[in-house]
Amino acid sequence: MLTDARVLELVRAERRDEAIALLLPAFRRKVFGLAYSFLRDREAAEDVTQDVFIKVWRALPGFDGRASLSTWIYAIARNASLSALRARRPQSSLSDPEVMDAVEALDPAPSADAILDRAALLRLVDQLPTKQRQVIMLFYMEEQSHEGVANMLAMPVGTVKTLLHRARARMSAAAGK
Amino acid sequence: MSTPDSELDKHLQALFGGLDTGADFDARLMARLRAESQINATARAMRARQQERARYRRALAELQSRRRSMLRLLTLDTLGIALLLVVAVVTAWPHLSRDVMDISRQYGPYIATLLGVLIAAVPLLGMWAEQTRRPIRLP
Repeated sequence: MLTDARVLELVRAERRDEAIALLLPAFRRKVFGLAYSFLRDREAAEDVTQDVFIKVWRALPGFDGRASLSTWIYAIARNASLSALRARRPQSSLSDPEVMDAVEALDPAPSADAILDRAALLRLVDQLPTKQRQVIMLFYMEEQSHEGVANMLAMPVGTVKTLLHRARARMSAAAGK
Repeated sequence: MSTPDSELDKHLQALFGGLDTGADFDARLMARLRAESQINATARAMRARQQERARYRRALAELQSRRRSMLRLLTLDTLGIALLLVVAVVTAWPHLSRDVMDISRQYGPYIATLLGVLIAAVPLLGMWAEQTRRPIRLP
């Protein structure tokens, strides 16, 4: 099992590549999800995820273990995502054809109804305010863990629950129209 | 029967649950890290080489400065010894036997010349030794 101590041990032994190889399976999806929740563009999110791990690799010798590794990595991911977001104009949306293709690519053989459902659902998610949208995406990506989402977005668990409740209510209302 | 909320949960779970990077993500990242590592290693080697050159130059300058000091010291020592010899001879002169005085009168100019040559030769020899010791050049 991955522990911060093991990673620190590898870094002190100047075995950063091994440390990254340990971190990658544990954080790749989470960092990618976080970047995707900001950027709403699969390709850009992958680029940011790559950059985040490169930054983590470079900064690992300076990591003192005062904060947990996950908190540290998510902070790097949030900053990198925000920088990428600022650098990118115009902003794409989840219901852009490219994004639709990327989401459809997650399921190799979706039915026609499923594609329609997904398209409608993506549009609903896309219409949510930024924070609510991020919470919704990360909550369902993170196997419905409020704590996990709170850690990724650096917000209290209570705020995550509130945002999630509001987002669900908004989506249900919009879907019921 | 499922509630609308659980239906929504199910759909959202299906939509975002499988969100992940492309299959070649890890390979691309590791390739970038290897390249980065290579660049770092080259930069580290260059820095080490520059530091070693600077250290060598400092050591060489220090050595040359020490040699020059030694040379100055040697010259001063020789002059001091020659002066002492002159003082000793002048002091001992009235007490020397007639034979020694005759010999010294006979060979006096030669002895004085030899002493002068010695005094002049010591710093010259030191300078020659300094010039023939060439510093080791770094490749």
